[in-house]
Amino acid sequence: MTTQWIASDPQRCTACHRCEIACAMAHHGACRPELARIRIHCFEDPAFNVPVVCMACEDAPCIKVCPVNARVRVINGSVVTNEDRCIGCRACVYICPVASPAVNPFTGQTMTCDMCADQEDGPWCVAACRTEGALWIDDGQRCSLQSTRAQADRVRSARYGASGARAHRKGRMP
Amino acid sequence: MKIVVVGNGIAGNCVAFGMRARSRDHEICMLSAEKVPEYDPCALPYFIGGDVSRGAVFRKSLEDYRRRNIDLMLGQRVVAIDPRARRVTTAQGFEVPYDKLVLAHGGQLFIPPIEGIRLPGVFNCKQLDAAEQLRGHSGRRAVVIGSGAIGIEVAEALHKKGCEVTVIELLDWVLPALFDRETAQRFEAALAASGVRVLKSEKVLAIEGNGAVAGVVTDKRRIDCDAVVVATGVVPDRSVAATAGVAAERGIKVNRHMQTNVADIYACGDCIETVDACTGEDVMFQLKHNAIDQAAVVVANLSGDPVSYAGAYAFARVHFGRMHAVSFGKSTLSTQCQLGELTIVEREKGSDYLRLIMKENLIVGGQAIGGFADYAGFFMGAMRRGDDFAHLRRSRASVCSLQNRYRWTQRLIGDITGLC
Ligand SMILES: Cc1cc2nc3c(=O)[nH]c(=O)nc-3n(C[C@H](O)[C@H](O)[C@H](O)COP(=O)(O)OP(=O)(O)OC[C@H]3O[C@@H](n4cnc5c(N)ncnc54)[C@H](O)[C@@H]3O)c2cc1C
Ligand code: SF4
Ligand code: SF4
Repeated sequence: MTTQWIASDPQRCTACHRCEIACAMAHHGACRPELARIRIHCFEDPAFNVPVVCMACEDAPCIKVCPVNARVRVINGSVVTNEDRCIGCRACVYICPVASPAVNPFTGQTMTCDMCADQEDGPWCVAACRTEGALWIDDGQRCSLQSTRAQADRVRSARYGASGARAHRKGRMP
Repeated sequence: MKIVVVGNGIAGNCVAFGMRARSRDHEICMLSAEKVPEYDPCALPYFIGGDVSRGAVFRKSLEDYRRRNIDLMLGQRVVAIDPRARRVTTAQGFEVPYDKLVLAHGGQLFIPPIEGIRLPGVFNCKQLDAAEQLRGHSGRRAVVIGSGAIGIEVAEALHKKGCEVTVIELLDWVLPALFDRETAQRFEAALAASGVRVLKSEKVLAIEGNGAVAGVVTDKRRIDCDAVVVATGVVPDRSVAATAGVAAERGIKVNRHMQTNVADIYACGDCIETVDACTGEDVMFQLKHNAIDQAAVVVANLSGDPVSYAGAYAFARVHFGRMHAVSFGKSTLSTQCQLGELTIVEREKGSDYLRLIMKENLIVGGQAIGGFADYAGFFMGAMRRGDDFAHLRRSRASVCSLQNRYRWTQRLIGDITGLC
């Protein structure tokens, strides 16, 4: 099985922040960028915008540092936070090389990209970025079923099972 | 091949299940002093405070061992190794032969030689059974001896349970292993604001009580309390290794392949002394992520891949109430003697604080509180790559490009610190 994640081309990003809104809508049904799992870092002089989203690292350090084992690799290869466990200690935010986990301002728990596994039509941020084309779905490293199973939380893996993988294929950019 | 793992902690389980994932043929046997499947010690303070249930502390169930055909022997404390006969002996009288032996028995709670330390009402938080006792305790006033990361976490847990908490630290500031004085002072403010009393530069002389804890006597005062938590650190257990002639200094000595000096005996986790990934010095960090990495190296080497270990790294987060902080790499205390001239870069914004320890334009460590802590991963990346900030400063204008995928993280560091 292959991990898929959202790849980005900073040269194309115009910092319109539509992806952030789309992400917040997809996961929380609210038009609030602070609830997004994708974030745009904007630099000036020379201008440069970097979309940052969880890369589902192969040897993910966030999984190793979580004190309550709430960071789990689920069956579609994404690394997500188990909300039943997370105590909001932020170790995963601090160890992440790009500080990708976002802290939910209401619960204090972290959240990262799950490739919109619950959505029929694939990641919403990619759809929102169609015109610019700064975001697309990339096939990542090989991720053995073994390692996925070993780490995947049983409940979550059931929930993100086959339908999650299907959603990805549909959402793939041409 | 018969692989015997001593210790059912995180390192031991990563070895056993890692080996099983690679091959079905080996016989794998785990000897555990405790009577439960693998659990995460890092979760214990949160279990005491009621943030997570007892079930959430576990990383494995007994069923997992059965399904993977791993022979888990509970309640078997290894006391001796005979490397010639290739056999280990447990205190319970079992003898288990091995082809390859992996020592992953972690560390032991350091129990300071204080009068009254064995009284009922003196707790610790090293293992699950101890944590369960502490969680079950219904006292109102607690004293925590030691203000390391575990001491602070336990203090928060007891505070959440409604206890009046006093933390006693021998040194001049809290979290001395993680923080410099300046960072610690800011963190202490959070402790004080929530009503936790912190006593620094104070030495516990005795624990008093008639059949149960009634108070703690220090060199400065007496404190009434009904519970004492010993959080004075974890020391490696060298006695088992010594029976086999395995070399140990602070911890068991291993090479980059996690092999000890005795043939067919490997070691990993909290019981070993290893090298720092950035500086190459001998260190003992005793952290979970290092235990997991080391176990993976053992698995590779046992399977015939001569993978070498890249080294351990220091990383710890602490929090109290709403204050979140992080520490990575060296602190000034740990660096002074080893690395020479240091520059300190400090930034402050409201209650947020950043402190980077730099040596000749390289980041060698840092501490951050609040918003600055979110960028810890960026700083650690620069530290591990050995980014030279004097050089980056000169090339400030260069545009980020896909050729240099780190350039934007360096610019971000520059924007936060003004270093480049
Ligand atoms: C309260 C607490 C909080 C922590 N928080 C963090 C944190 O936030 N972040 C972090 O990175 N690290 C943290 N740590 C450290 C982390 O838990 C350890 O680094 C990690 O568990 C090391 O794993 P290990 O397998 O080497 O040792 P352990 O987990 O200690 O396991 C050793 C096992 O071996 C058994 N054993 C011991 N001697 C024998 C023997 N002679 N025979 C048979 N079995 C034996 C023990 O019973 C134990 O089950 C914390 C530790 C504690 C206690
Ligand atoms: S949160 Fe960060 S460290 Fe964890 S998998 Fe995602 S990118 Fe990697
Ligand atoms: S914030 Fe939550 S998911 Fe992240 S390390 Fe802490 S407990 Fe784990």
